[in-house]
Amino acid sequence: MAALSSSSNLLLLLLMSSLDWLSTPGSAFFMGRHRVTSPAPLEPHITECISRDQTTFQCWWSPGNFHNLSSPGSLRLFYIRKDSPTSEWKECPEYVHSNRECFFDVPHTSIWITYCMQLRSQNNITYYNEEDCFHVENIVRPDPPLSLNWTLLNISPSGLNYDVMVNWEPPPSADVRAGWMRLEYEIQYRARNATKWEALEMQPQTQQTIFGLHTGKEYEVHIRCRMLAFIKFGEFSDSIFIQVTEVPSKEASFPLTLVLVFGIVGILILVMLIVVSQQQRLMMILLPPVPAPKIKGIDAELLKKGNLDELNFILSGGGMGGLPTYATDFYQDEPWVEFIEVDAEDADTGEKEDNQGSDIQRLLDLTQPVSHHMNIGFSNTVSFPDDDSGRASCYDPDLPDQDTLMLMATLLPGQPEDGEASLDIVKRAPAPERGERPLVHTQTGGPQTWVNTDFYAQVSNVMPTGGVVLSPGQQLRIQEGTSGAEEETRKKGKEHKSSEDSEEDKEKEKELQFQLLVVDPEGGSYAAESNARQVGAPPSSPMPGGGYQTIHPQPAETKPAAAAEDNLSPYILPDSPQSQFFARVADYTVVQEVDNQHSLLLNPPPRQSPPPCLPQHPLKALPAMPMGYITPDLLGNLSP
Amino acid sequence: MAHSRGTNGSKLFMIVLYMVAACGAIPIRDLLDRASQGSDKLHSLSTTLTQDLDSHFPSTGRVIMPRPSMCHTSSLQTPNDKEQALQVSESDLLSLARSLLQAWEDPLVALSTSANTLPHPAQGAIFNKIQELQEHSKSLGDGLNVLSGKMGPGAQTISLLPYMGGNEIGQDRISQLINFNFLLSCFRRDSHKIDSFLKILRCRAAEMLPEMC
Repeated sequence: MAALSSSSNLLLLLLMSSLDWLSTPGSAFFMGRHRVTSPAPLEPHITECISRDQTTFQCWWSPGNFHNLSSPGSLRLFYIRKDSPTSEWKECPEYVHSNRECFFDVPHTSIWITYCMQLRSQNNITYYNEEDCFHVENIVRPDPPLSLNWTLLNISPSGLNYDVMVNWEPPPSADVRAGWMRLEYEIQYRARNATKWEALEMQPQTQQTIFGLHTGKEYEVHIRCRMLAFIKFGEFSDSIFIQVTEVPSKEASFPLTLVLVFGIVGILILVMLIVVSQQQRLMMILLPPVPAPKIKGIDAELLKKGNLDELNFILSGGGMGGLPTYATDFYQDEPWVEFIEVDAEDADTGEKEDNQGSDIQRLLDLTQPVSHHMNIGFSNTVSFPDDDSGRASCYDPDLPDQDTLMLMATLLPGQPEDGEASLDIVKRAPAPERGERPLVHTQTGGPQTWVNTDFYAQVSNVMPTGGVVLSPGQQLRIQEGTSGAEEETRKKGKEHKSSEDSEEDKEKEKELQFQLLVVDPEGGSYAAESNARQVGAPPSSPMPGGGYQTIHPQPAETKPAAAAEDNLSPYILPDSPQSQFFARVADYTVVQEVDNQHSLLLNPPPRQSPPPCLPQHPLKALPAMPMGYITPDLLGNLSP
Repeated sequence: MAHSRGTNGSKLFMIVLYMVAACGAIPIRDLLDRASQGSDKLHSLSTTLTQDLDSHFPSTGRVIMPRPSMCHTSSLQTPNDKEQALQVSESDLLSLARSLLQAWEDPLVALSTSANTLPHPAQGAIFNKIQELQEHSKSLGDGLNVLSGKMGPGAQTISLLPYMGGNEIGQDRISQLINFNFLLSCFRRDSHKIDSFLKILRCRAAEMLPEMC
């Protein structure tokens, strides 16, 4: 039953369709689908109907296999517009027989209306296909766009790829301006030798970008369009060719950048090398070194060694090189500073510099008869009784000072630059201008010429016999002599008056041989500075009369300086091997050695034995000594 | 849920439109632009729908389909060619568009109903697209209503084109398919009409901006 009803419905439908006007065009034709060709011999049929601008359209037919109908006019085309139930078949308004084409002009063209085509032969045979019905808007194939053009957008940094912007104009027949037709476009491109076209996505704009084209290749581009939301495409436009050759500038820029980078890196490395290699010089330029503290007359090594004793000694003006004792007042505060005593009976050591002048005067007065004071250059002297402390003396007391001094001067390293030094010393020794401290100043004067002024000892006392007792510098390191130690003990708190003790000691000491007695000035008058050592010379005691060399004044020739400076008289060298030297040098004596008590030894005795007759003064070869002065140990090296 | 979403979206759109229209902030040009976009979408959807339908249409040889003149909207007098279309006033164009759109409200429901049980391989996709059609149709109709308010009294006229088919489009499989196809083709034609009218309107309104056309 159901099947019957369905079949009957179908039949009814068929009847209706056949009786009635033709049904709507088959969906195939309507949708533009490929038409199902009938298996029957090919009869005349409509080939195709196309509208270009939705205002006109054309239809082409073909006689098929009926060649007898191929002559123009043998077949006629009829159409019908099914816009009303009363429409009729009409003949083609315009034939183009050459093409077997029927052209429907504007008045005969309507959209949204069904058109059906029919072919009729001369003898009224109708060839009709249901599928040949259509709506005009469905058969629209727009004209291809015009003015296809391209511009280069950019090129990749590597120069291998580039992008192109393609633009065009819509076909004028589409009347896009009026909104009559809305088109969408499709760009296709391919490389020159490729067969397959690359299609870009359809879009309604009139420009599109093609990405990723390769430089050096030639590309062919064409475009077509169709109505929006419709199926049929128009024809392709004429192709344009795009080609972008390799841009050398791009390639050049890349290596240029590399070269630039490498160049900068190389320059940087060069600068670094220069800086590193010339670092010293650069540092000198940029950061000039601060001058190291340099005190004239003091070896920098001494500063580094940090031997305070020596340093202080030198700084105090005692050194041979002698610092210029700028502040005479400096010594005023120093209790241990002693000055020359004119007389034994005077014996007031500890006079300050203000007494110096008088002392000197006294010295000078006592030049002839008494021992000459020798200004060793040390400010600190302790006067002591000038009597010989019993020092065994192998020395000729009459040794001229000058000669001795000369010899000493020559012998001692760090000698003054010229041979005149000794003379200079002699000259300088009695430096009267510095009233307070001729001794000292002499040193100062001396130092200019004398590199080492360790040759000098300050006269601490003058023996009645004329011998001069010399005192070492305060800080002068004295050769480690046992005597020194003993002297020390004696020194402490030793009063001027107590110098006799030292005298006694002296006798047994090798100090007896000391030509110079260097007495450590005690506090106050006799500041017994710890540092101040007494050479095992007869301390403040007026010393070992016997041990001292009395320098006979040889003022005449040995004291040119004395003449120059009347302050000082030739020094009296204690008895010592060097006495002969002393005799030669009249005005001063040269310190040979400093014992462990920092007493200057003009002629340090041999350490072990009592003073041999031989001038034992350790005029050994002087070891390398710091410039400017002699260390005690070096004194031993002095050799006549 | 897509339906509700569409409804919400259309409601929102309507609210925005009404508010804007009340303020008069949105110019007609923009409204037309929006409307023509909607009609674009509608037309495209109908096209794909018919394509889907045809892709698996049972090859019954010659397809027997009702004439397009049997579309229920054929009675509406619309311009049929370019000259006529370009001569019709904007109000009339809008009125025609609105009439057509409204005429399809019911048939779309019928289509949606029948798509549920459509004996077609691509039934699911077809059904979804029908749903989308309904949404877009609704929103476009609302937009056109707003637009009509700005375009004068002529635009307010809506011709009634009742649909007599009911919700049943066929009892058997083939009739269902045939009727379905027929309806869709009618709809496609009408959507193209709507789109064309709106495009013409838009291009007329955007004389200064040719790129809008």
